Amino acid sequence: METATMLPEVTAAGVIIKAVLILAVIAAIAGFGTYIERKVLAFMQRRLGPQHVGPFGLLQLAADGIKLFTKEDIIPQHANKIIFAVAPVITAATAFIALAAVPVFPDFTIPLLDIYVPSIASDVNVGILFVLGMMAAGLYGPLLAGMAQANKWGIIGSARTAIQFLSYEVVTGLSILAPIMMVGSLSFVDFNNYQADGTWIVVYQPVAFVLFLIAGYAETNRTPFDLLEHEAEIVSGYVTEYSGMRWGLFFIGEYANMITIGVIASIVFLGGYNDFWIFPGWLMIIAKIAFSFFFMLWVRAAWPHIRPDQLMWLCWKVLMPLAVVNVVITGIVMMIVG
Amino acid sequence: MSLEQFKNRNVGTQNYVKLDLDHTPTSGWCQFKQVVKRTFKPELFVGLWVTLREMINALFRGKMHTTQYPFEKLPISPRYRAIHDMLRLLESGHYRCIGCGLCEKICIANCITMETRYDENQRKEVSEYTINFGRCIFCGYCAEVCPELAIVHGQRYETASEQRASFSLFEDMLTPIDQLNLQQEYQGFGAVSPNADENIKKTPLAY
Amino acid sequence: MSEVQTVDNMVTISIDGVEYKAKEGEYILNAARANDVFIPAICYLTRCSPTLACRLCLVEADGKQVYACNTKVKDGMSVTVDTPNILEERRAMMEVYDVNHPLQCGVCDQSGECELQNYTLEMQVDSQTYAIKDTERHTANWSSVLHYDAGLCIVCERCTTVCKDMIGDSALKTTKRGGDKLDKSLKDSMPKDAYAMWNKLQKSIIAPSNGTGSTDCSDCGECIAVCPVGALVSRDFQYTTNAWDLKRIPAVSAHSSDGFAIYYETKPRSISDRREKIFRVTNEWNFVSLDGSARFGYDFENEDVTKDEKAFANAVEALKKAETIRFNSVISNEEALMLQTLKEKLGVKLYNPEVRPFQKFLKLYSEASGKSLYNSDSTKAMKCDFVVSVGGALRNDSPGLKYAFNNIQKMNKGAGLYFHPVGDKLIPTFGKNVEMFIHKAGLEEASLYLLLDLFADKSKLPADVKDYIESFENGKLIDMLGGDSEKFMAGFDKMMKKKEKFVLMVGEDYYGHPKAENLAKLIVLLEETAGFEVVMNPPKSNALGVALICDLDDEATGYTVGYNENGDFRLSALGDGDLDLPAFNQQEGTVTTLSKRVVPTNVAIDYGGYVLNDLMAELVDAPRLTIDWTPYLPTDKGYKSVAFDDLANSFDNAGNDNRGYLLDVTTKEVELPSVEKFDENATLEGDIVYRCNPPRQFSDFSDKAHQIFEAFGLYASEERAKELGSKVEVVFENGSIEVDVVVDKKMEGNIVALSDFKSAQNVYELFGESRYATVTIREV
Ligand code: SF4
Ligand code: SF4
Ligand code: SF4
Ligand code: SF4
Ligand code: FES
Repeated sequence: METATMLPEVTAAGVIIKAVLILAVIAAIAGFGTYIERKVLAFMQRRLGPQHVGPFGLLQLAADGIKLFTKEDIIPQHANKIIFAVAPVITAATAFIALAAVPVFPDFTIPLLDIYVPSIASDVNVGILFVLGMMAAGLYGPLLAGMAQANKWGIIGSARTAIQFLSYEVVTGLSILAPIMMVGSLSFVDFNNYQADGTWIVVYQPVAFVLFLIAGYAETNRTPFDLLEHEAEIVSGYVTEYSGMRWGLFFIGEYANMITIGVIASIVFLGGYNDFWIFPGWLMIIAKIAFSFFFMLWVRAAWPHIRPDQLMWLCWKVLMPLAVVNVVITGIVMMIVG
Repeated sequence: MSLEQFKNRNVGTQNYVKLDLDHTPTSGWCQFKQVVKRTFKPELFVGLWVTLREMINALFRGKMHTTQYPFEKLPISPRYRAIHDMLRLLESGHYRCIGCGLCEKICIANCITMETRYDENQRKEVSEYTINFGRCIFCGYCAEVCPELAIVHGQRYETASEQRASFSLFEDMLTPIDQLNLQQEYQGFGAVSPNADENIKKTPLAY
Repeated sequence: MSEVQTVDNMVTISIDGVEYKAKEGEYILNAARANDVFIPAICYLTRCSPTLACRLCLVEADGKQVYACNTKVKDGMSVTVDTPNILEERRAMMEVYDVNHPLQCGVCDQSGECELQNYTLEMQVDSQTYAIKDTERHTANWSSVLHYDAGLCIVCERCTTVCKDMIGDSALKTTKRGGDKLDKSLKDSMPKDAYAMWNKLQKSIIAPSNGTGSTDCSDCGECIAVCPVGALVSRDFQYTTNAWDLKRIPAVSAHSSDGFAIYYETKPRSISDRREKIFRVTNEWNFVSLDGSARFGYDFENEDVTKDEKAFANAVEALKKAETIRFNSVISNEEALMLQTLKEKLGVKLYNPEVRPFQKFLKLYSEASGKSLYNSDSTKAMKCDFVVSVGGALRNDSPGLKYAFNNIQKMNKGAGLYFHPVGDKLIPTFGKNVEMFIHKAGLEEASLYLLLDLFADKSKLPADVKDYIESFENGKLIDMLGGDSEKFMAGFDKMMKKKEKFVLMVGEDYYGHPKAENLAKLIVLLEETAGFEVVMNPPKSNALGVALICDLDDEATGYTVGYNENGDFRLSALGDGDLDLPAFNQQEGTVTTLSKRVVPTNVAIDYGGYVLNDLMAELVDAPRLTIDWTPYLPTDKGYKSVAFDDLANSFDNAGNDNRGYLLDVTTKEVELPSVEKFDENATLEGDIVYRCNPPRQFSDFSDKAHQIFEAFGLYASEERAKELGSKVEVVFENGSIEVDVVVDKKMEGNIVALSDFKSAQNVYELFGESRYATVTIREV
């Protein structure tokens, strides 16, 4: 808390720069994420993955981008045109807005202009709530998209969105409640600082961590919980009728959310951007986010997805009770220790 | 893999492995037990390990599976029936086709057309020969019927082209004369059977 | 003398236990074929004499092994086609044929329709027991059309037989092969007939009979047609396609008036050019023999024609203002009917110098005889045993009648008389009972009087005629006609021995003859008093059809539209006119043949332009298709009201011509005509030119065909040609023409023959109606 007071003043310019930075970098990373995903999945299946566009296939994402941008934009005849058009934007926007309250890089000052760029675009003191809230708001993207497109698969997709996102929001909230209780703040910066001594919260809260991860996967619509658009069952779920850049926006949103989850997990449970041994803080945070991203892919390569009923069963009968128990135990322990 | 395995049509005698599946849980408690068992048994981690191991195999142990197709090609069976080749006589280099027209006759897709004429050496010359590959169904009858082992199926299976006609003229199919030494006999339809000698009755000759 | 098949001359035989009816005196093989029973046979040709070369037709008749092709059926005969012994014999024969036969079916032109292939399979020859050293056998080109590969020849002698018995040229013979003698031991170990067959086979091979390397024949190609293997092939056709790729289109030959049944065999001309092309012409050689024009003169189609609307409009205008339409006989019945319709509706004149004299002559004949048409035809003629040809250069004008003339000599032990001012060295070679009279032009009536003298039942003759004939001293007529009366009368009894059926062939000379009416009447007298059947040779192509359908005029006046002929506006199927029309191989329609048969012909080559029917639709009124005219052919002339598509077009296994239908011939009773005496001094003197084409040439169409190369020219015997030099100017009363002199080695005498097949040369104008003209010939 003391360190914060020593920081230079946060100017509007700095915030805008930070915002642009986040947008640019995260969007790029989200795109890059698709490349990494394909590569990693390929390697795990002993394939080569994309490799012809650019060195090691790096420019594949540029090629995909060009493709997505130039593809014909089709809006189905009976779709609700406005909602259909807005839905992908909701997904992408909420994903990026959520990132506003997440410290993405350590702060720095642009040397010549003397503009201070904060580590976080807007250090709202209810950061975590804001982020989780924004991500939860993201559910309107798939929901509206599925309902607007006048397609059975879309409807099923959006129905699944509703149950899956709403249910797991509970688990996310409850699981993260325990660390919040320990830190006593909703600000990410405080979480980071709390672990500055080198002891990660995951050590105290392993159950909360696991629950958070599971719930996070469900909320980002990742295997094994990718029920919203599971091809084998519902063609493409809520994105069935989408094409071109509209379709692309959903994926930028999804990948941005994956990063957000990675960031939250790293900051809340895995020691944040504190230096670690000889590694500087910025490297540590990148490494952690990267690993958590990689883990998502790894899981996708290794595990099958589950049925909707199993998903609900897991949420309400296993994870939610566990989370509640975890909160209670944490409270008791805090009472005894504190 | 040997052909024998495929020829065995007695279902049940192959090396099938039966999965030892658990019984489906009947009560809620059983289901819970199953979940707990599955959660804490390292099965999930086995899955993670397998994928990671394969990744390591692929990346560092050179066990990548991919064949980079247009640059690398897998060998195909010598009996494969792709775009036809017209073979030459090894001794003289003259094309083998005598223009008998049997392939033209037998072709069920009716896609072979040829022109012949009486040439300067009083022989039947095949002046042009084409196969319409838009129609050919690669049945191999032409190779089978050819008495001269002249028309055979080659190994060119990439038939995407702006003009299929570009595969199909006599000179396109004919072994280039400078590659005569590389010419392979075809082993598929129409090839001489390995025991042909035994099956043939000798005609008596008076000299 | 009637040809009606009564139940009397049918006998009953049984083949393999089944009873069949057969004509008495028929060979077993023909009787079996007529009843659709298969007996293997290679060497036998229907209508020719059996040669017993192949011996495959071995059957058992009443317990004895006989050759089906030369044993006549007897009432109650019981025939077994296969006995174990015969099967063994046949298999051995096929094995023998396969010994040393080159394994070259792959390139052989006959492959696919080769009787050696077929019978080898039929007898299931899959291995060979016999061997003998091969003799070197060469290939040779025998003429412009014939290619002979001795290596492939199985010496079935079909080629020599057809050439001798049917064509009459006898240009081929068997000669020594110089092969090894058969091993004596085989005689006992081999089936008997197979051994005998092989023994003969080893000794002979085929060669031109004149001892040179080339045949010097009429290039009809019939030997090619009958050859069961690939030994004789057409040089032009050789190696150009395989038989099974060809589409067969039944049609009628467009050139001679015989209306030969042919098949155009077509396929796309090349890989890049998919337009159909005629590769060859084939025929049912057992039942019809072609001449060279029919077989080789097939590629006269009007190529690459599209609908030229301007030319069409011009043609309509031209026909509207035309006073005359000039045409020739290369035209179908339907087109003739269209022109006749134009005459009726628009009043144009129809001018056809080729057919007009024939039409007039037919009219004279039917007035005198009461018959609407002559009563014989070429098939009936072949069954006669005494044949007389008058007024025609048989070899040039009428291949079908020439074959009949020859066949009568060979098959019916017949005799023949040939009266013509132009000698033909080939005719006497047809048989030893053939007498040729080379008489002076103008003495045609005398020849008929001689025939009356020789054959007529004098009691039936009108008294004046009888007296007139008797006024000639012994043999005076014969001598007058260029014969040797003593010698002739000495041999005549022998000629007449056992002769029952007489036929008179009347040629084109008579039609335009100044005394045509008298000639027609004399012919009727001959018919009535001497029992002659009469067949006339329509000048060309469909001349009979034109003569019957069109009402022709004697001269052309005013603005003339020529159809394949000269005119102010030219409709032409030759590709050189003002409006293109389809050639004969691009049309469907019917043709009236010499044998009074209305036969259908079909489209072999696509045609993209206008047809005459389109002009008709524009000018008067027309049904949709040309063949829709077919049922409207004039029934009062003998045509029947039958739709084109209902016309049959085939021969049956007994060889009956079932194509189309026969014209109805009506007869009414008339008095015997009264004839005039003839003027002994009305002969032509000086240089005489005869309007006559070389064999194989009939019209611009035969000339257009690439394998018909006989030149337009002045044909002369060798001696006469020497006198004339190489190029001459022939000066007629009303014009002159410059032509090359061409030697015809078979011609005899001083008269020269001027071709008329090029319409552009207008030879008909020079001659007028008569085929003879006195001229001055100058060397240039
Ligand atoms: S493979 Fe079959 S279809 Fe193709 S050309 Fe040969 S015969 Fe015809
Ligand atoms: S079958 Fe063989 S030899 Fe005969 S034409 Fe065809 S390719 Fe030529
Ligand atoms: S003649 Fe007949 S058997 Fe002889 S090579 Fe020709 S097709 Fe074959
Ligand atoms: S050339 Fe032909 S028709 Fe003549 S003998 Fe030989 S095989 Fe017979
Ligand atoms: S057909 Fe009778 S012997 Fe040849």
